[in-house]
Amino acid sequence: MLLVKDSMTREIVTLSPDETAGTALALCRERRIRHLPVLEEGRLIGIVSDRDLRSSTPALGDPARAKALQEILVEDVMAGDVVAALPDDPIEQAANTMRERRIGCLPVVEDDELVGIITTSDVMDALVYLVGANEPGSRMEIAVPDRPGSLAGAAGVFGMCGINIVSAAMGPTREPADAGKPRERIVVFRVDTIDTAEVVGYLDEAGYPVLWPPKP
Amino acid sequence: MAAQALSGRAVIVHDLALENYGFGGDHPFNPLRVRLALELCEALGLLEDYPLVSPGPATDEDLTTVHTLTYVRMVQKAGRSLSTLSDLLDYGLGTPDNPIFPDMHEACARVVGGVLAACRLVMAGEVDHAMCISGGLHHALRSKASGFCVYNDAGVAISRLKEEHPGIRIVYVDTDAHHGDGVQWMFYSDPDVLTVSMHESGRYLFPGTGGVDEKGRNGGVGYSVNVPLEPFTDDESWISCFEAVVPEVLRAFGPDLILSQNGCDGHILDPLTHLSATTRLYEHVPQRMHDLAHELCSGRWVATGGGGYDIWRVVPRAWTVLWAAVSHQHLPEKVPEDWLSNWGEKSPVELPPLMRDAPEDYPQGPPSAKIAERNLRTIQEVVEKVLPSIQ
Repeated sequence: MLLVKDSMTREIVTLSPDETAGTALALCRERRIRHLPVLEEGRLIGIVSDRDLRSSTPALGDPARAKALQEILVEDVMAGDVVAALPDDPIEQAANTMRERRIGCLPVVEDDELVGIITTSDVMDALVYLVGANEPGSRMEIAVPDRPGSLAGAAGVFGMCGINIVSAAMGPTREPADAGKPRERIVVFRVDTIDTAEVVGYLDEAGYPVLWPPKP
Repeated sequence: MAAQALSGRAVIVHDLALENYGFGGDHPFNPLRVRLALELCEALGLLEDYPLVSPGPATDEDLTTVHTLTYVRMVQKAGRSLSTLSDLLDYGLGTPDNPIFPDMHEACARVVGGVLAACRLVMAGEVDHAMCISGGLHHALRSKASGFCVYNDAGVAISRLKEEHPGIRIVYVDTDAHHGDGVQWMFYSDPDVLTVSMHESGRYLFPGTGGVDEKGRNGGVGYSVNVPLEPFTDDESWISCFEAVVPEVLRAFGPDLILSQNGCDGHILDPLTHLSATTRLYEHVPQRMHDLAHELCSGRWVATGGGGYDIWRVVPRAWTVLWAAVSHQHLPEKVPEDWLSNWGEKSPVELPPLMRDAPEDYPQGPPSAKIAERNLRTIQEVVEKVLPSIQ
């Protein structure tokens, strides 16, 4: 779960370096995509985005545009220094690479062969899937002490109440609400129940204060 | 004469059998609320010219217009204790939200039958408006019980009406505090069924869906309208959001029938949600549905109940107010003495003496200006992004 290969697109539209900017832009428009890997003899040699194509050709309405679209070639515009991901990379690593380099996609390469492409919107889809936001549930925020067994303890309270957990995410540590207590972490659970009143009471009693929903 | 013509003929569809739909024990969904509401209507004299119409149960064929046969069979087995807990859980049954109870299929099918009968009476022209307050089980999904809802009464009724009246256009307006997800998903690609849901934002509250961006799929884009409201939204802001969206959406769509879900769990006293409405909202909404039904579809309007978990102080009054709008009768000011003395002893909380809440009865929550401003932004988004697609 949460590997690049779980979220990447496998059907890839590619270009060869000697195709024209006009062809490339038309492809982006028709297939509604923004990134096209460039292949030479099956090997990945670059990547070109619709933004690169637009910024290197005269604007719409410029008389020079039609000619330029025919003359400028993909190899003139593409980024040659390509950062690729491996299919087995964790998705957070791919997300971090895209964030740090400020790029919108990574080609996925295995044994020198292009096998897929992963974009920021694939990462967003994975996030929605991860937090279970496409299944009915209530979202609960709970503070737990940064100590062994805390997550199991809080999760166990849901189990005791017969409430299924749809997803769980735990964040970094923070200062405790009460000075003198251990540092704490916030856990966000999505749970399959419409009625959180009872379980909120049990969690509070067990020392896992519920930050949301508010108490009646 | 004009008032007479506008008022329309109305009917309540109800039978004691509909009160078998409940999960027992301390479960928040308690059918006693329906009894309390109807007895309050009666004590106020609002049922005098209106005999109750008793519905038959929905058939398996009715139910499978929106549910899978496997699911219906599972509910039937669950009601006879013929299945294992592990099998039930795959269908959302046997959970704290949706525990199984004896003959649950029969009870649930009866509720669906009630809403179906109400819709058919209105479509046949026998009455202009009909109410079935046991209905409104809007979370039930195709193959899964969810949020206290086993079968989706509105879903079945809409599907059947579409078969019986080809080309019919139906608008479903849901003002329950929770998003009307089940009904929305059942007609998500259908441009002949417009669903409108106003609810507390799903950022925290069950079921978590109902964002402005959920606006339909394929041919149905624009025919799912969602207005997620901030927690602690009060009457003032809620009503102005309702007025900014609902009349315009309904006029643009041009329905042949309005089906409204009147959950009253957005009331400030409701234990399951975080909205801050009072009876003012629950008087305003049905009156407007009534007016819009006369303006747009010759009065054809069916009202169901829905959520509402302060069963003593809120639900009886909210749904009596609803019936007063459906039957176009004047709402008395006071809760009658005999109803109070009948139920006062059984109620764990003090019963309100007046039919309408006074604003000063409830302490103010967080600053309402900020909440109203955020709701206004949501409304702008709905008006800009969703309304233009409706035809």
